[in-house]
This record gives sequence, C-alpha cells and structure tokens, in this order.
Amino acid sequence: MLTVLAQLILAGVLQGGTYALAAFGLSLIFCITEILNITHGEFLMLGGLVTYILFAATGLNPFLILLIVIPIFILVGFGYQKTFIKPILNRPPRQLLFSSIVVTVGIATAIEDTTSFIWGPTVKGVSFSMPAFTIGGVVISSLRFSILVLIVGLTVFLHFYLKKTFVGKAIRAILQNREGATVIGINVPRIVTVVFGIAIGLAGVAGVFYVLLFTIGPFIGLPLTIRYIAIVMLGGSGSLLGSLVGGLILGVAETFAGFFLGAHWSLSVAFFTLVLVLLLKPEGLFRHV
Amino acid sequence: MFKKIFTPLNGILFIVLIGLLLLPRFVDPYWVVFSLLVFMYIGVGTSFNITAGYLGYVNLGHYVFFGMSAYGFSMLYVKGIPFLICMAVGVFTSVIFATLISYPFLRLKGGYFALANFGLIKLFELVASSLRDFTGGTQGISLKPGYRPFETYYIFLGVALLTVLVCYWIPKSKFGLALFSIREDEEAAAAFGIYVNRYKMKAYVLSSVFPGLLGGVYAWYSAYIDPETVFGTDKALLPVTMVMLGGTGTFLGPIVGAIFMMIIEEVLWTAAWLPVWIKTLHLTMLGLILAAVGIFSPGGFVTLTPFTKFFRWIGLGRFLGASHKSLKLEETF
Repeated sequence: MLTVLAQLILAGVLQGGTYALAAFGLSLIFCITEILNITHGEFLMLGGLVTYILFAATGLNPFLILLIVIPIFILVGFGYQKTFIKPILNRPPRQLLFSSIVVTVGIATAIEDTTSFIWGPTVKGVSFSMPAFTIGGVVISSLRFSILVLIVGLTVFLHFYLKKTFVGKAIRAILQNREGATVIGINVPRIVTVVFGIAIGLAGVAGVFYVLLFTIGPFIGLPLTIRYIAIVMLGGSGSLLGSLVGGLILGVAETFAGFFLGAHWSLSVAFFTLVLVLLLKPEGLFRHV
Repeated sequence: MFKKIFTPLNGILFIVLIGLLLLPRFVDPYWVVFSLLVFMYIGVGTSFNITAGYLGYVNLGHYVFFGMSAYGFSMLYVKGIPFLICMAVGVFTSVIFATLISYPFLRLKGGYFALANFGLIKLFELVASSLRDFTGGTQGISLKPGYRPFETYYIFLGVALLTVLVCYWIPKSKFGLALFSIREDEEAAAAFGIYVNRYKMKAYVLSSVFPGLLGGVYAWYSAYIDPETVFGTDKALLPVTMVMLGGTGTFLGPIVGAIFMMIIEEVLWTAAWLPVWIKTLHLTMLGLILAAVGIFSPGGFVTLTPFTKFFRWIGLGRFLGASHKSLKLEETF
C-alpha cells in the first residue's frame, strides 16, 4: 500500500509540475495585462503536437526537440501578442475583460478546429521510453525522473530570472505598481510582449512534457485552461511559488481522485478546489512574486 | 393618451408581431425551425445581458441553467409525467440552483467570476456524462420522438418576447438603476444605501429564469439531449459571443447579435457559393469572426455607424444608448 501511495504521489507531482509551468505563464499574463488568456491550453496542445510531428519525422530524442520547441513558442508568443492582444490592451477594464474573452475564445476554437481537421481527432502520444530504476520498492522510470529534474531546473531558472535580470525586475515592478513602473522608465508594452513570449514558451515546454507523459488530442486545451485557472486562483495570481504549490496540490489531488474514483472525475477536483478556495481564501495562498 | 399608444414605432412593432405569429402558416418549415432557434438565442442572449450588461458580471456559465432545466425536464418526462409539471420542475431546478450558487460566486469580481462560472458548466458536463444511472451518461436521454416545430415556435416566441419585455422594463425601473450603479461602482452604490448583495443575487436569479424556461422546451423539441448539446463549450460561449457581436449592455444588442449569429452560422453551413473547405472548417471561421469582432468592434454591431443611423431612422434610437438616461455610460461601454 505504501509503495502504491508513493507511486501515486510521484505521478501527481509530475502532473502538477507540468500544470505549474503553464499555469505560471497564465498567471503572469493575467496579472500584468488583466487579460484572461483562454488560448493558453491550446498552446500546450500545440507544443505537444509539434513534438509529436518532429518525433515521428526525425526520431530525435524528445529532449533535443525541447530545445527546438522553446524558441519556436517564444516567437509564437511574440506574434500572438502583436496580432491579437495588442489592439485590445488599452481598453477600459470591463470592456477589456469582454474583449479578451471573445478574442481568445475565438482563437482557441479556431486552433482546436484546425488541428482536429488536419491531424484528426484521435489521441496521439510519443512512445519514447527509458530504462526504469527502483528505489525502496518504488519503480521510477528515468524518463519521468528526468522530466521532474527539468521542471525543477526550469523553475529555479525562472526564479532567478525574475529576481536578478533587468527584465525580471521590470516584470515585478509592473506587478507591484504599473504607473510607478512607467514613471521610472520601464517600457511597459515591451515587457508585456516579453511576458507573452515567456508564458507561451512555458506552455510549449509543458506541452512537450505532457505528450511524453500522457497523450494529447485536439480538445484537451480548454479543460486544461480551466485547471490552470484553478491553480492560479489557489496559488494567488502572479506568484511563481503559488503556481508551483497550487499545481502540485491539484496534480496530487487529481491523481488520487483518478485512482480511487475513476479517471473521468479528475476535472471535478479542479472545480471543487476552485469553489473551496473561493469560499475560504479568495485571494489565494501567496501574494505577488 | 392615444397619441402615446399609436406611434409609428408601436405600429411597426405590432405589424412585426402579427407577422411573426402568422409566419409558420406561410413559409417553409425550414424557416420555422430557423426562427425558433433565433428566438432561443434571443432569450438566452438577452437574459445573459441582465448580468453581463446591466450588472457588469460576465457570467460565462450562463448556459448551465439551460442545460439543468433540459436535464430536469427530460429525466421526468421519460417517466411519463405531464409536460407542464416537467417544465415547472425544470425551471425550479435552475432557479434554486442559481440561488444557491449565487452566494459563493457573487463574492468574486471580474475575470474570476467569469472563470468560476465557466468551470461550473464544465463540471456539469462532467457530472452529466459520469452519472450513468441518472442522466444516461454520454449517450444522453432520448425522449419520445415527435414532430413539433410549430408548438415550439410559439413557446419560444413567447419566452423571447417575455425576456425582451423584462429587459425593456429593467433600465426604466428602480431595480435597473440599482444594477447600473453597482456596475459603475459597487462601493459607492453600497454607500448610497443600495443592498448590493441582494440586488446582485436578484439579477443573477432573474437571469436564470429564462434559460430555465427555454431549456425544457428545447429538450422536448429536439427529443434528445446529451451532455455535449446542453453543456458543451461552444454552447457555454454562445451567449457571450452573441451579446458581444450585438453590443454589451444595450437593449437591442443581444437581439441584433442573436440574429447575426444565426445568419453567420447559416451562411457558413449552407451557402453554395462558399468553397467546401470553409464549410468543413466552419468552427474555425466562427472563431476568427469572433476574434475579429473582439478586436475591431468592441461595442458590437449596434455602435457601428450604419446600424446606428438605421435604428435612429426607424425610431429605435433611444435603445442604442447603454442604459438609463440619468447615467452617462458611453465611455465605459
């Protein structure tokens, strides 16, 4: 029983790690621009799809494909921001909410429909395996282990990026006080572009991990976005630590619910987390970065 | 007195109403089905506008009331319970649910409120497909099939008219004034002695009545429902897209939006002059149209000059403005 529990927790931590990466991007976008990016899950799906296509075409090691995916998705993020987000950024708050929902939902629908038309609605996975090893009766696949290491590494990198570099400091300044940041000479529109690059790059990376661990289909995007939203609200928006903790809690809870109740209940965990957080601690667990 | 009743506008509206009542006698049944769906969209969109436009709380899960009522209706109707009782149960389900959920959810603001409601509709899709014993799972519920577009046409016309009348009354009433002031500044409204929470709850529950009325009849009309058709993501986004297309917070916006939405869908599906790949990708096209509307026309169709001119010309100009005379809201919407 204990080994089963350990396995479950490990699986949950992995799932939560992939959630946290993409959720942090969503949380950054929401905090800095107040745009609700419903397209976020679709970028994860596209990241997985690119990996699948490249893997099927070249048979490269998926971790090398990761190095190709990161720059592609950062560029996609820049382009997405320039074409769709920039025109609606400077609207008054309530209109911004409406416009952002309509625009991002429209694009999400378009992406889902196009991918399911071109690559078919079937689920796809990358069958890449690495030898497993055992620690104290718990079987750990080294693929999962290396993904875990990569997620931890990326999180640490992001932490130092936000704390030490100029762009990271600028992002934190905007999170704390937008007008103040403008006054001291931070180019806010540029930082917004950078934030979209980082966020969508992270979603692409999460997509690579997702397709290695699970399978992807064209319609996984919106349910994933809802999970990210639950994570962002649980962890508190704009906080890296919050996204990480929220992602881990949700990932472990979903794995347990999937094991004990059946896999189709996993999305309801996200919803009940959401309602509980709203009732008990509406501002989330952590404050800004 | 007579001058007030016999205005040209009222004459036009009267003729339109008579035309709509007689329509099923003269046109092809295809167009009856088309217009009953338009009425359904008008009902859903206009009631969505009560919370989103008048109160300023974007309820992304508005369609959940429609779905709950449809399920409540069907689960009883298959057991042979009379139509009217099933209807009443359907409406009660959605209204009581709205009352219960309004307590935790109306404490949220802006995007969080929208998202929590969106999660709600996904949850119901999940529950409806998982509880196989009650709801038939993903296979849905099949009612006794029958050909009833004409009855449905008149019921939907009635509900749409009722919704439109209520939404016509709200901006003129004290209730509407309270909603508008909450929309503009919640704390200031509370300071002026408006029971903010009570009004928010009232608006939320009021907006749940109309989808509740429509949902049961829709299930009866289509004789089959499954989680996808009543709780699907595209359905959840339908009201917000329609209202956005037409114009948020205006009386005419949802009506214009519903008609446009239906026309766009119809053209994308059936127009012979469009290439086949557009029809195959009609959801993509719909998505791109939505994005374009969001980017280029934030106020919706009713704020575009040709439409404004047309509506002023037929005497409906006063419905174009956002709302109450005593509030200037053009800057916010």
